[in-house]
Parts: sequence; structure tokens; C-alpha cells
Amino acid sequence: MSRTDAVTRILFEAFGAAEVRLFYVLGYTAIAVFCYGVYVQIRKYRRGAALTLEGGLWSRGGAMLVSVLNGRTVARRDRGAGAAHRLIFYGFMLLFAGTATITLEYDILEPLFGIRFWYGKFYLVFSLVLDVAGVALIIGLVFMMYRRGWMRLPKLDYARPDRVPGDPDFNRPQYRREDWAFLWLLLIIAVTGYVLEAARLVWLQDRAEVWDTRWWSPVGAVVAEGLRAVGLGQQGGAVLRHGLWWFHGLIALALIALIPRTKVKHIFTAAASLMVRDPLAAQRLPLIPKSQAEAGAAKITDFNWKQLLNLDACTKCGRCHEACPARAVGAPLSPRDVILSLREFAQATLESGAVPAAAELDIHGKAPGQVAMETLWSCRTCMACVEICPVAVEHVPIIVQMRRKLVEDGAMDPLLTKTLQTIHKTGNSFGESKRKRGSWSKALPFPVKDARKEPVDVLWFVGDYASFDPRNQKVSQVFASLLREAGVDFGILYDGESNAGNDVRRVGEEGLYEVLATANVGALASAKFKSVVTTDPHSFNTIRNEYPDFGGKYQIEHYTTLLRQLFAQDRLRVTHPLKYRVTFHDPCHLGRFNKGYDAPRDLLALLGCELIEMGRCKANSFCCGAGGGRIWVPDPVGSEKPAQNRIKEAAAIPGLEVYVVSCPKDLTMFEDALKTTGNEGKFVVKELIELIREAIPVQRAEAVPA
Amino acid sequence: MKILVAVKQVAALDEDFEIRADGRGIDPDFLIRDLNEWDDFSLEEAVKIKEASATPVEVVAVSVGSEEVDESLRKCLAKGADRAVRVWDEAIEGSDSIAIARILAAVAKREAPQMLFAGVQSSDQSFASTGIAAAALLGWPHAAVVTQLTYSPEAKTAVLRRELEGGLLHEVEIQCPAVLTIQLGINTPRYASLRSIKQAAAKPIEVLSLTDVALGAADVGETGSLSRVRRMYVPDKGRAQLIAGDAAQQAVRLADIIREFKGTAA
Repeated sequence: MSRTDAVTRILFEAFGAAEVRLFYVLGYTAIAVFCYGVYVQIRKYRRGAALTLEGGLWSRGGAMLVSVLNGRTVARRDRGAGAAHRLIFYGFMLLFAGTATITLEYDILEPLFGIRFWYGKFYLVFSLVLDVAGVALIIGLVFMMYRRGWMRLPKLDYARPDRVPGDPDFNRPQYRREDWAFLWLLLIIAVTGYVLEAARLVWLQDRAEVWDTRWWSPVGAVVAEGLRAVGLGQQGGAVLRHGLWWFHGLIALALIALIPRTKVKHIFTAAASLMVRDPLAAQRLPLIPKSQAEAGAAKITDFNWKQLLNLDACTKCGRCHEACPARAVGAPLSPRDVILSLREFAQATLESGAVPAAAELDIHGKAPGQVAMETLWSCRTCMACVEICPVAVEHVPIIVQMRRKLVEDGAMDPLLTKTLQTIHKTGNSFGESKRKRGSWSKALPFPVKDARKEPVDVLWFVGDYASFDPRNQKVSQVFASLLREAGVDFGILYDGESNAGNDVRRVGEEGLYEVLATANVGALASAKFKSVVTTDPHSFNTIRNEYPDFGGKYQIEHYTTLLRQLFAQDRLRVTHPLKYRVTFHDPCHLGRFNKGYDAPRDLLALLGCELIEMGRCKANSFCCGAGGGRIWVPDPVGSEKPAQNRIKEAAAIPGLEVYVVSCPKDLTMFEDALKTTGNEGKFVVKELIELIREAIPVQRAEAVPA
Repeated sequence: MKILVAVKQVAALDEDFEIRADGRGIDPDFLIRDLNEWDDFSLEEAVKIKEASATPVEVVAVSVGSEEVDESLRKCLAKGADRAVRVWDEAIEGSDSIAIARILAAVAKREAPQMLFAGVQSSDQSFASTGIAAAALLGWPHAAVVTQLTYSPEAKTAVLRRELEGGLLHEVEIQCPAVLTIQLGINTPRYASLRSIKQAAAKPIEVLSLTDVALGAADVGETGSLSRVRRMYVPDKGRAQLIAGDAAQQAVRLADIIREFKGTAA
């Protein structure tokens, strides 16, 4: 044996043959337990409904790898956790790869092919890398312990807003125990690894190829010096090494065996969940398959395999819990707890050999694991949860699919029932006559073209609020005159237009949505136009993302991008720059849903406004509370409304003059919240369109009547 | 055991409606049609009895009208009616509530239900007589304006509460078969999702002619009716007036008007 050959990892030296055999038996047992666990999990997912994914496996795998490797999703809104997770992730991966490489050589390549590479320089460099990886792992783990134990983060509090103290699943202390066990287990494995390495050095200090190369394992070498300093001899080193070897090995094997049954499984489930992510999960809700007789999710097996996988991917990080506007105002909803409840339910029902009878699979109700209807109706489908989830859990489609079942059962607020009936009857949520849809345009000094009767360049899909709500009608009139002044050839559908259906679909009334979408696609087909514009982000979202499923594919933009373009083309010009100090509220359906963050800000800059951002802006914008059909159901009296919470945030901006919105529902919600929070008179709520009008005062005779 | 529920598709006025050329009705273009609100409650009451019953109960919705009424009948089917029956013949045009009741009574004879439910009234015509007239034609006992009902299928009698004027209630025991006209608020009608309405399209709507129910053209329409609409019109503008001026002037004028009405004008 050459000298470099001897520089290698000491594996089973000084072990009896029986001991080595025992280790292999235990090792294979651990792997077998792991494999069985994986089988049980996969069987659970396969018990869900079928789903065919769009997009290639390679591009999905590539996107997943990027997310996993850069760890950016974990670092969002929590840089400390992100950094610590990266240390743990890379430390763990390197150590795992190191161990796997040893197995590859010792158990596969050498016995089968006589190939050895685990010696000499390669070994030394690897051992240095692994030592550093171990340090990274320990630092990461210690920070996570500090974070859990001392930072008292509200998002890591498992107390549920949809349960009361005393309920069996109120704050689930078993989760906390598992979190700590996971951290301690990894920490013990890492620390014993170093001590084990040091003990081996002390034991083999006579052997030059071990001792002389010890600084390639710097941490182990330092610990070894320490052990020698406290009087550990060669004999003692041998005993310590032998004992720790088993201790370290057994914990590591136990960890492997337990992966599929504990939170450790997120290594696999989170990666898989990221791989099957739907970038339009909340923007484009799923159709009900033709083969499906019952609408929505009544049983746990009504979710598809991907959704069941989503449930298992959750790491309880609490980012959705923190972002949820319903939770923020004390409504009985936390997206985290919806996911965890359903996960517990799936574990209890779908992991055994046979699937229980349908009656035991009912996910609606108040028992542990079930989701209450109050919880489901609290959701505003604002997508804050889906957007921030680091592991691509898609809460909104899960909630809406459960609501579809509630709608079938009529289990909803009577006001919502009434609104849905009204929309069915009249095509709008105001219960107004269809004929009156275009009436707001009568106040204009010029006629607005009927796009069904003459071709136009731009078809303006107006939407319910902008058509019928008196306050928003004024905005619509201003927008019409701006378009006219910019020389845009535009028209509307008049009574051919129906409610776009975005919120009807998010309520879960899929049948009515189909009626509305089909009617609008038909009306649009009867008109001649080049592109569609809308002032309503809700209509914008559904027409852009969901109408294609109903055969309606259009070039559509929100008014902010159209107006920005008109300014860029010099067809609109600011004549009276505004010096206001403003803040901008990103509408969920424009911002988070469709990434329209820039156009409104560019317009505000063009107007000369000084924009002060609120803490929660852009992707983290805080919902006004009107989404998901909640605009039709008043929030409970006495509790804070999301819009009030938001106005209070804006009110903290010193010298704020205008709270700018770019969504009709926002105008309604925030003007109300401005009054109810006592901020009236301090600043005003305005549509961006109104600010633009102010910066381009009307000079011509065709002024819009005030 | 069978419950027959008489329902009507009512018409509501759209904005800026126009009176028909013959001056006796509204141009149908300006009408928005829907199931009569009262019938929502009577159907719900029947479906509740069916759902609570250990023995099978059949709920049959019946209506008189042309094809467009099918939309409302499908809503009934979606909400839990097992079958729907629609009677139509051109000759029925112009029928008053008594003639309609004659048709309903004929359907009741054919179906032989234990109960016939109808709404107290229809929101568009407000005769409040169709159900009761059907009872008279059938020779069945009846109770109007029912606000609570205790009835188990196959029972010989039902106990119900009726709403009277002045907050009084009648508690009545009634022999079956009977005709009950159901008041709003007796229950909470369920929501018929659009999906369930669509799926209800698979359930049958039986279309009957006058001969099917053993009636002749003379039994219905204007000849079979006891009344006839002569004219429909919008009365001359009321006497509402806008009081101009500032608050003080308005108050003075308002006080004058009140005095005028009290007959104490100075």
C-alpha cells in the first residue's frame, strides 16, 4: 500500500466482523423503513384526483433547481432565516454528498469494479470541504434555535385564529416539539461528527498518514488538541471513537428512516412542490372537469395529487399567516392552518392500507382536520399567501374549490346568495337593468361608440363598479374624456357587457362564472377591435388569464399601461405638474396577480408626485378586503376591516396628501375606510385617473361636467 | 306520497318600459322574468318535508305558461323538485287567476297529491286568489298565508299557523288533501347554483295540453275568466315637489304644506 493510498477515511477499523454486519443490517433496515415511508406518502398522493400538468419536465425541473439552490424563496421577507437556511442546506447537502461518496466507493465501485478514489489529495480536500460544511450547518442550526427560542416571531406561533384555547388543535404543541427535535437531532449529528473525528485523531496519533494530515480537518484537529489537553490518551480516544461512532451512526440512520414521517420530508416534498408549481395558480382557477359530477372539494380525495403534495410541502414557516389580510384583522382564517388542517386530515385518512368510506373523508366542518365554512368565507383570494409561499403551496385554488362545495350546498351568507341571484338575473351585482350599463356615458359631451355597431381600435371593458357605482362613474367619465383627448378610437359594449365574473368565480359559483364568461366572450366576438383596455383590475385578471379557457384570447391591458403609453407618445401631456406627496396602493389583481407594479408608479412620477411607499407594497400589498366576493358581504361589526388597517398604515406617512388607487373597488373600500378611521380631512383617496385629470386640466369646451 | 307545488314565472319591469300596443300590458321586451318570490318558499317547504321524511315523497312543480317558463321550472328542479309539469295552449292567453286555478285544479286531479302548495300571491299580479280558487274548484280545505307548517307525509291532518292582521296568529288543524298558500319567511329557500340548474336540465319537464288535463278552450282564456284587463297605464304624475331655497326657507314652506294638509292653513 503506497503512502498516499493510506491517506484515507478510517471506516470500520478495529470493528469485529459481527459489528460491521450489524451496522449493515441496521443501515439496510433504515433504508427499508425510509422506502416504505416514501411508498406510503406516494400512495397517499395517488389517492387524490388525477391532474395532467402543463409544461415540460425539464423546464419544471430546471426552475425547481434554481429555486432550491439559490434559496431566494426562503429568504423573502426574512433574510435571517434565508441565510441560516442556506447554511443548513449547503452544509447538509455537502455532508450528505460526502457520506454518499464514501458509500459509492466502499460498497459499490470498489467491491464490484475495484475502483478507488477516496484517498490522497482528493480525500484531503474533501475532508476540508466537509469540515467547513459542518461549521456552516452548525451556525445555521444555532441561529434557527435562537430564532425559534428567543425572537418570539408571531408567524412561528401556532395558535390558530380559527380555534379557541381549549380546542384539541388550538396551538398544536406537537409541532413545536417536532421543530425542536429536528434542530437538535441535526445539531447532535453535526457536533458528534466533529468529536468523533477528533477522537479518531487522538486514537491514531501515532499513524503519520492520519496525524500529519490532521489540519485538513481543521475543526476535528482543534477539537483533538482540546481532547489531548484535557488528558485524553490513545486508548481513551479509541474507546470514545468506538462509542461515538455508533451513537453518531444510529442517529443518522434514525433520521433517514424518519424522513417520510416528519418535517424532514420537506427536503423532498418542497422540491417536488416547487417543481409542479403553477405560476397562475390564483390568477387562473381550475375548470371543473367534465367528468366530475359534483362541483368542488367535499372529500379529501377530491383534491388532486398535486394539492395533496402541496399540503405536505408546508414547513409551517408562517409567511402566509403573516401576509394574510383576513388573519391580520382577526378573521377566523390563517392560510397556514387551512393547509395544516388538511394535511393532518390527509395523514389520518389516506396513509393506511385502505381508503376509509366517503363519509369519513368529509373535509368540511369543525372537527380537527376539517375546515369550517367561516374560515373559507373569510378569504379574499388576494393571493398574498400563494405569492409568498417559499415552497409553492397554492392555497387559493384549494380554498375556492372548497367554496364551490359550499355554494352547491347554499352554505353562505344570505347577502351573497342574493348577490349571486342578482348577477344571474341582471348580469351585474348592482341589480340594475342591463340597459343602464352604459348610462354613465350620457353625461359626456360626446357619444361613446358602441363597439358592437362600429369597429374601434380599443375596446373598453368597463366592469360593474365603474359602470354602476356613482362615485366610480365619475372616474369612468374622466377616463373616457382622457381617451378622447388623446385621440384614442375606443368604444364600449353597452348592455352587451356582463359582470366579468372574476369575483363570482372566486366566490366558488363556477356555473355562474361559466355563464358570465361565455356571455362576455360572445359579446366581445360580436365587436370589432384591436385590443381591450379595462379600468377594473378584477375584470383585467379574468379576461387576461381565464377567458382563454373559454375561447376568448385578447390583447388586453390595464388602463395604467395604456395611459403611460399615451404619455410616451406625447398624446397626453402634463400641463400642471402636481406636487402632492402621495402613496400608492397596489390592487391585488393588478399587482400581485399580474405584476403591474411599474405603470402606475411611472404615471405618478410623470405627474410630478412625490411617492412615499407604504411598508407593505408591490408584491406584499395589503388587500383592501373586497376580493373573492367579500365586497358583497359586509365584514362583522366591531372588528377592524382590512381597508381600515391599510388606511392606518398610510396615515403614518408624514404629510401624506393623496392615497392613490387604481381600482374601482379600492376607491369604494378606501373612501369608506378613510371616514371610519377618522382620517377624513387629513388626506384624500383618489383614483390615479383623477390625478391625471388634475395635471391636465380641461380647457376645451368638451369638459366633463363635474 | 306526493306534494304538488304551483309556481309562477313572474315579470318585473325593466327601466324605461313601454306599454304594449293594445294598451293592456307591458311590451315583453321590457320584462325581466323570474320565479315568483313566494313560490321559492312554498317549494322549499315541500322539499323540506321530502328531506325530513322516512317514506318517499315526490315533489312536483306545476306551472302554466309557454316555453319560457321552463327556466323557472328548471330552477325548481335544481332546488329539489323531482318532476315538473307545464300546461300550455294558445287558448290560455288572457286567463285570469280563476282560469289559471281551473287548470291547476285539473292538474291536481290528474296527479292526486296529498298537498297542493301555492304562494300567497304573485309579485306581478297580486291577485292572491289562484291557490284559494283551486281549492274551491277541487273542493279541498284550504288555508291562506301559512307561516308555519307541521306535517308528516301520509298524515291525515296537518297543523299550521296563519298570519292574521294586527300580529295575530291562527293555529289551524286541516284535513288533507288540502291547499295551502305559503307566506314569505316560513323558511330559508336554498340557493340553486347555476351548475345544479344546468344539471336539472336532465330532469323531465312534462308539457301538457288542455286535452291532457281534460279541459276545453272555453274553460280558459278570456272566456273562462271572470275578469278581464281593460287597460294598463301609468297614472299621471304625483304631487311630489322639490322645495327650493335655503334650509330656513324650506322649513317655512314645509310647515305651510303640513298646515295645509291638516286643514289649519292660515
